[in-house]
Amino acid sequence: MTEFTMHPSLFLAAGALAVILLPARLRYIGLLGGPLLALLAVFSLQVGTTWTHPFLTYELQVLKVDALSRVFGIIFSIMALLGATYALHVLNRGEHVAALLYAAGSLGVVFAGDWLTLFFCWEVMAASSVFLIWYRRRRESLAAGFRYLMVHFVGGNLLLGGILLLMSQGNVAVSALTGAEGPAFWLVLIGVGINAAIVPLHAWLTDAYPEGTVTGSVFLSAFTTKVAVYVLVRVFPGTELLIWAGVIMALYGVVYAVLENDARRLLAYHIISQVGYMVAGVGIGTELALNGTVAHAFSHILYKSLLFMGAGAVIYATGRSKLTELGGIAKLMPWVVVLYMIGGFSISGVPLFNGFISKSIIVYAAGVSHMGLVEILLHLASVGTFLHTGLKLPYFMFVGDGKDRGLPPITVRKIPANMYVAMAGGALLCTLYGIVPWLLYAELPYPLAYEPFTTLKVVATLQLLTATAAGFWLYLKKLGGEPTISLDTDWFYRKPAAKLNWILDALRGVKGTVEAWGGVLFQAAVPYVHNPLLVGVGFLRNVSYKAARSLEQGGWTEKTVYDEHRHRVSTQLNVFFTALFMGAMLLVLYTNL
Amino acid sequence: MKRWLLILMFAIFAVTFVIDLMVRDPAQAHFWWEKIYGFDIIFGFIGCIAIVIVSKWFGKVFAQRDEDYYDKR
Repeated sequence: MTEFTMHPSLFLAAGALAVILLPARLRYIGLLGGPLLALLAVFSLQVGTTWTHPFLTYELQVLKVDALSRVFGIIFSIMALLGATYALHVLNRGEHVAALLYAAGSLGVVFAGDWLTLFFCWEVMAASSVFLIWYRRRRESLAAGFRYLMVHFVGGNLLLGGILLLMSQGNVAVSALTGAEGPAFWLVLIGVGINAAIVPLHAWLTDAYPEGTVTGSVFLSAFTTKVAVYVLVRVFPGTELLIWAGVIMALYGVVYAVLENDARRLLAYHIISQVGYMVAGVGIGTELALNGTVAHAFSHILYKSLLFMGAGAVIYATGRSKLTELGGIAKLMPWVVVLYMIGGFSISGVPLFNGFISKSIIVYAAGVSHMGLVEILLHLASVGTFLHTGLKLPYFMFVGDGKDRGLPPITVRKIPANMYVAMAGGALLCTLYGIVPWLLYAELPYPLAYEPFTTLKVVATLQLLTATAAGFWLYLKKLGGEPTISLDTDWFYRKPAAKLNWILDALRGVKGTVEAWGGVLFQAAVPYVHNPLLVGVGFLRNVSYKAARSLEQGGWTEKTVYDEHRHRVSTQLNVFFTALFMGAMLLVLYTNL
Repeated sequence: MKRWLLILMFAIFAVTFVIDLMVRDPAQAHFWWEKIYGFDIIFGFIGCIAIVIVSKWFGKVFAQRDEDYYDKR
């Protein structure tokens, strides 16, 4: 096996090809085979392996393996396998192809050694993932998909601008830009920042992810933001701006999660919150913090996909996604509740689940770097995380009573076994890494001397979480979902775009009016064009019997086509009139009248 | 059920606080709040309430709109 080297994205792309070529009932060959082989390929990659490929005047490094890319490669291919398992029952092959290409693009970015390869894979991700939204086939999904595409194309073009600047300076290989100022730095940072959902560039995420298909949103929740985190770790470690960007993200997601009514949108706000920890870790930039960021991205992919799977299972079974319309279904789907709660405990950082062993590294790193305010604010975000993802969402989704809006009672559809298998796999990994964190710590890019299970840390975490639960209990009545949406920064393009649409509508109206009147005039002009001599013939026929008869004898109707032979006069007459006219002209000119 | 949850909650508070008293070493603290015994109980509870109140206020005065907000002219 050690001699075997293959780019894992190729297996995923081959899987996508197999899904297209084979009939839908054989979809599992490509759908499971692709990710499985990709996972094996990642595990057999040796640190230091590089594949180069000549392109124009450049040597592209399409595959470059180091410790950082390897650990991200592992989690992304595990995720592709879990997501594919979750989607196995879906008959729509297009959705599977989109998901596999999306995963292939993500792994392509992770293993890209040069900027051009990175950019190509970056765009593959955007272009394939949008179909995971559109295949929901709702009007809202179509619109949200277009907005998603618009934002990502803007971001992609900013990134491309930065990349072209870098390449014009001779920087072809992906390398750290920390400390570099100037347009290239900012273009790349903003381009990547859009994908990392850095506030205020985040609104595409909470806009689009809840509108995706049940199985597609699981993929969405895992890849785009974490690929961006990977690029941040590689390109911007220690960029101080990111510390506060991350803290703001962590709290921003929490605040909006309080207000949110849609189950998957609430989870999407907590993606922003959790990615905030990672962005802050990148900003702190010490080896400890970067290790924390990588570990947390690894954990986050597992538990967040598990949470999206749980919420997706509820949507699949009930057809509802709003907390105000759900509740009282815990007894109908007990295993979904259990598996969801493992994800909920993981994200909340309950000891023995994987959020605890990774989130605490970042918070600890902030402390070690003497950033008190950062540490305490990230601590506060943990309170919010447990409050919403661990308490509010499961309570109002599974237990609470929100079905008092005149809706018919909830009916529950049977959930396919493969969805349970995928959720169980995710839950198993969340717990495994939570209990045996060294499995993950061994894969991290830097050596790590960190002991997560000190008595004080465990005790303090239990205190924090139990106190949060007490607060939740106190505010139980107030925390139920409200049937509202919350304004976010997407307002700045949705509302002006609506206004623009209104103006365009008005202009279209003007154009329509002009066209309509033009049509009327044209209709009126048709008979004149037909035969100008016969204008009024119909009228004449109606008013005078004599005229009508003589017209009929002459063969004149208003449909008679103009025929010049019919109206010719003799040549003599023509010559005579011409001579007469010229004579008259001569007279006029001569006499100077 | 509710009573048992309440008892469990206070039991956790009590047990963790006692352990906290035994293991917390103020000399190792990075910041002043790490020297306080049972700090996370206070912080978690007040933080939770603050998050709810601030967010609800923010929603009421600014963010929350009807569900058809973006469909309306």
